[in-house]
Amino acid sequence: MSQVMIAGGGNTPFMKHPGRTVLSLAREAGSKALIDAGLSPADIGMGIFATALSGKLFGDITVGQNAFAEMGMPRIPVFNVENACASGSSAVHLACMAIRAGEVECAMVIGAEKMCVPQVGLLSSGDGELDSLLGLVAPASFALRARRHMAEFGTTVEQMAMVSVKSRRHSALNSNAIFRTPVTVEQVLASPMIADPLTRLQSCPNADGASAVIVCSGKMGRRIGARVAVRATMLSSGNYVNPQDLARWDTDYEGVSRVYEMAGIGPEDLDVVECHDAFSISEIIHYEALRLCPPGGGGELLERGATSLGGRIPVNVSGGLLSRGHPVAATGVEQVLELTRHLRGDAGSRQVTGARVALAHCMGGDRAADTKSMTAIVLAT
Amino acid sequence: MSGAAVDPENTGGGLPPLVPGLYTSVAEPGRYGLVGSRCRACGCHCFPFDDHCPKCRGGMDRVVVGTRGTVYSYTVVRTKAPFGLPQPYAVGYVDLAESSLRVFGLLDPASIGSLEVGMPVEVTVMPLGVDPEGRRCLRPVFRASGGMSERSIP
Repeated sequence: MSQVMIAGGGNTPFMKHPGRTVLSLAREAGSKALIDAGLSPADIGMGIFATALSGKLFGDITVGQNAFAEMGMPRIPVFNVENACASGSSAVHLACMAIRAGEVECAMVIGAEKMCVPQVGLLSSGDGELDSLLGLVAPASFALRARRHMAEFGTTVEQMAMVSVKSRRHSALNSNAIFRTPVTVEQVLASPMIADPLTRLQSCPNADGASAVIVCSGKMGRRIGARVAVRATMLSSGNYVNPQDLARWDTDYEGVSRVYEMAGIGPEDLDVVECHDAFSISEIIHYEALRLCPPGGGGELLERGATSLGGRIPVNVSGGLLSRGHPVAATGVEQVLELTRHLRGDAGSRQVTGARVALAHCMGGDRAADTKSMTAIVLAT
Repeated sequence: MSGAAVDPENTGGGLPPLVPGLYTSVAEPGRYGLVGSRCRACGCHCFPFDDHCPKCRGGMDRVVVGTRGTVYSYTVVRTKAPFGLPQPYAVGYVDLAESSLRVFGLLDPASIGSLEVGMPVEVTVMPLGVDPEGRRCLRPVFRASGGMSERSIP
């Protein structure tokens, strides 16, 4: 099986981009990725394009072919991927599969989203599903996890608020993040309640943006001087078992265990993590699934500073979804780009010193109190 | 009660249900049961009704899967409410007493402020919000056991 490496990547700022289309954002990220990798359009053998909302919001379908054609890459095979919030990470996984299979030497992945428009509304698991009709919106599904986590483990609202405080402390160092102003625990808790106990400052903001990475075979990577290898990628769907344990997310634990096994590592080997902190409680629950602490210990791990820049295992040094913003399909690609920068030593003032092993974790969609998609990607120098 | 044959269209009240066959009236006035299914082969329950078992693909019978239970978790949603639901509105997961299913559902708006993990609840039906076509409709709701909300359909 061929080794996979990261040849390069690029992104747009994550912010409101009024007047720009998803296509223009995608082109900017893709063009920057080519420059970063020192490659030309002729080097790209396959295009994987992720957008979750373009079909719903703009009636745009198969945007990927447009993006790659406009960047000077007609004729190549192009896939359009939609897996909700895990669209971008699923696209990275698919590209790595193509390289491992020896199908192509080099593939570009772009995740792009334009969602700061009036028609976006609140995201749910799908307008026709019973849970949606009974009022299940995305913040509610995480608020229900938060309430249960509090009841079972004694996690406090202050600990959850500290996730947002840490996130802002990190994003202050990321010029591509949508929110960079520091906040206090008091400000987080005093912001408007969205779904008890989660307040607005504990909910990830919508943003427009695009992120691209180029993956290639080990042979090509060595030729162009790439330094970051993809050790493992995994994608699973939910198990949808009833009853679901909302405080210990089985699909999350199972997916993380699998990717550790595939990569031949354990949690103690990680130097830096990007995880899917859609809401403050998500990050705490994911610490536990990642086995950075025992089940129920997420709040305390955070409080001790272990997951802050400079701590034992920094998580979401980019600001994560909470502060970088969450242009849905761009997020999973951006996580890989962020970690690539840390592994190359290119992360500037937020560099995790000496980072050698990194994990990107993403989730997308809701079904039967479970996630529809869960991805994990392990990178290493 | 679990396992009894049910009439899925016996919904009570004047308004149409959100979705046909989601609940049915049971013996006591104002009391309802959620209608799901039970596998003829492995005994597994599911809600809402499915004609094939999610575990073994066996055929399923239509049964009442729960008339009461306990709140596993809850939240009060204070953002703009979808489908004309009241603002704020409460939702939760409830562990059903009769089938061991954990189901998502609306909680009685009158119980906002007194919700607790572990509180006993029962299934009723209320005129809450609109259906996907914008028509007012009845939705199944969990209310505190023993209490009669004034919005309940008698």
